[in-house]
Amino acid sequence: MEYILKEPERQISTKIIQIWRTTNTIGHGSFLLGFVALLTASHYWDWYNWVNITLYVLIGITVLSAIFSILIEPVFIQRTWRYDVDENFIQLKHGRWNVEHKIIPMAKIEYVTTDQGPFLRKAGLYSLNIGTTASSHKIPAIPEKEALKLRSLIASYANVKEDDSFE
Amino acid sequence: MNNTQEAKRYHPAYLLVELFEFLRNSFFFILFLFIFNFDVTTGWIFWAKIAFLAAAAFTIGKIFLSWRLHTYEFDRKSITLREGIFVKKVRTIAFDRVQNKKTSTSFIHNWFKLTSLTLETGTSNDEASVRFPVLKRQEADAIVETIDKGAAAETSSVESEEGETDASLPVRSEKSQRLEYFRSTNKDTLRAAFTSLSFLAIFPILLTLYFQIDDFFSIEDDAENAVLYFADHFWLLAPLFIVAILISSVIGYIITTIRYGNYRIEADRERIYITRGVGQVHTFSIQRNKVQAIQIEQPFMKRIWGIVEVKLISAEALSIGDELATNSLYPFMKTKEAYALLGELLPQYTVQDNLNRLPRNTIWLKLLRPYYVTVFAGVALWFFRPSLLWVAGVLFAISLVSRLFDYLFTRYALEGDSIQIRTGGFTTTTFVTRRERIQEIEVSQSKLQRAFGVRSLGFTNRAKPIHVSSIQDVPDGLGNDFKQWFVQRKVKLE
Repeated sequence: MEYILKEPERQISTKIIQIWRTTNTIGHGSFLLGFVALLTASHYWDWYNWVNITLYVLIGITVLSAIFSILIEPVFIQRTWRYDVDENFIQLKHGRWNVEHKIIPMAKIEYVTTDQGPFLRKAGLYSLNIGTTASSHKIPAIPEKEALKLRSLIASYANVKEDDSFE
Repeated sequence: MNNTQEAKRYHPAYLLVELFEFLRNSFFFILFLFIFNFDVTTGWIFWAKIAFLAAAAFTIGKIFLSWRLHTYEFDRKSITLREGIFVKKVRTIAFDRVQNKKTSTSFIHNWFKLTSLTLETGTSNDEASVRFPVLKRQEADAIVETIDKGAAAETSSVESEEGETDASLPVRSEKSQRLEYFRSTNKDTLRAAFTSLSFLAIFPILLTLYFQIDDFFSIEDDAENAVLYFADHFWLLAPLFIVAILISSVIGYIITTIRYGNYRIEADRERIYITRGVGQVHTFSIQRNKVQAIQIEQPFMKRIWGIVEVKLISAEALSIGDELATNSLYPFMKTKEAYALLGELLPQYTVQDNLNRLPRNTIWLKLLRPYYVTVFAGVALWFFRPSLLWVAGVLFAISLVSRLFDYLFTRYALEGDSIQIRTGGFTTTTFVTRRERIQEIEVSQSKLQRAFGVRSLGFTNRAKPIHVSSIQDVPDGLGNDFKQWFVQRKVKLE
């Protein structure tokens, strides 16, 4: 019987855009603070000149990266994220410039968990982690009800164990 | 061997083996403290002697006590080991957990007709293996047999492998006999010695020896004098050099013989057995149906000589500690011979001949990709050593050639149940696996690749550690074929 692979269609919640913006702001902000603190110290105690140059370069890179990953990136990631689950495979697909499409057989799945940090909790979202012996994968933002349903669904599908004669 | 038996100690030669190990490790201390400073009884040397004697007494006591206190026993299904001097430890390992059995026989073992045996389990922590440092050979064989029997009784009901109908390795009822598939000849060893450049091995050995001696006696001045002398008498160097090369060739040959001499590959229905070494004999075996993939490596040097190294990828632990990995079938096999052997040993993995090349336009794509190493080296050199900036140029040339080679040598085939990819510039790696052995796949495409209408494929196999393979810049269509191919995997229900 031929199995037809459908392109994944389910999307992740749009609320994640705001959350990513917040978390990326915090992340980049703390890096920036650290570099500025070092720069101040460097001027105060007269450190080597190459330290200053390096710090200016790092600050420049951080600012550029912040603009990209706060303003631009979250929208694209959310818009391009697709996943799908059926009884044989889990599919994950994301990315606009670099498109990645992963296919994981249910039979190889070892565990599935849901996570929720403070920001996700406020938005009523969960992230779903899927682990195989080889690696672990994350679907970043799924509404609570859907996430819990998906978790038990995957768990029951994955229970269909393949006899691959390992323990 | 009985199914249940008394707790046993190791053979008394354990003491000798361990003692020899201790003496070997402290060789330079003894040389320095007790030979060269024999009559010194004052200062720090005196205290060093006392400290050494105390440590020696402690170690010897420990060796003796561990021989007294370490025991092992077998029952029908498991091995129980009791060890520890101050902290007692009891470990029980069920036979069906034992995935791998290795023996290793050193010179000392040889004198007493003994051997050492290591049993490996599938887990990856430090308790994963059980080592019997000293065993009589018959006893080692008996243990292996007991384990095989015990494990067979446990698992005989669930042996068949996913998806693969083992037409070639049928019913396991009668234990088939071991057949020899390969035995290395002197010619092979000679070829091995040359390709592995082991005749150059003498130089690092001499260097370590020099530094080790120099640590204890300052011979640096003498060495400098010698260098000055040869600088004055330059013509003396040529014969000296030839003699050095000759000696080191002989040493290289001997080293290679000790490591790879008398190399045998045997197999019965279930397992492949590899035995290697002269004087120090190592054996290794792997279950045929646990081979996840085959990897054929061919570094530049080996390509010139037309030889390859075939590795068996498996989730079983394949090398023990510092030992040379033995997951390779003979590392210096003629290409044709290797493929023929593979066909016989693992018929489910056939190495294809009619492979596809990458689309022609991808050569520009490969050359267009950023040269990170070159740029990084260039920037670093420009800042710190502008006079060495030409090194960046050399690096650039090397990466150019490597990318060109990569384009020329990369091949792929997706046929039936197996996939085969060959990648790499200076060292090419061919990887063959079957659909059921693949854990997950990934198809990706970067912006640049999209412009050229190509993609990258990636897939993972179970191994230790996980083995990730990928091939870049295959045509768009193959990406979809690969996905469709993968999802046709048969799922066998329990």
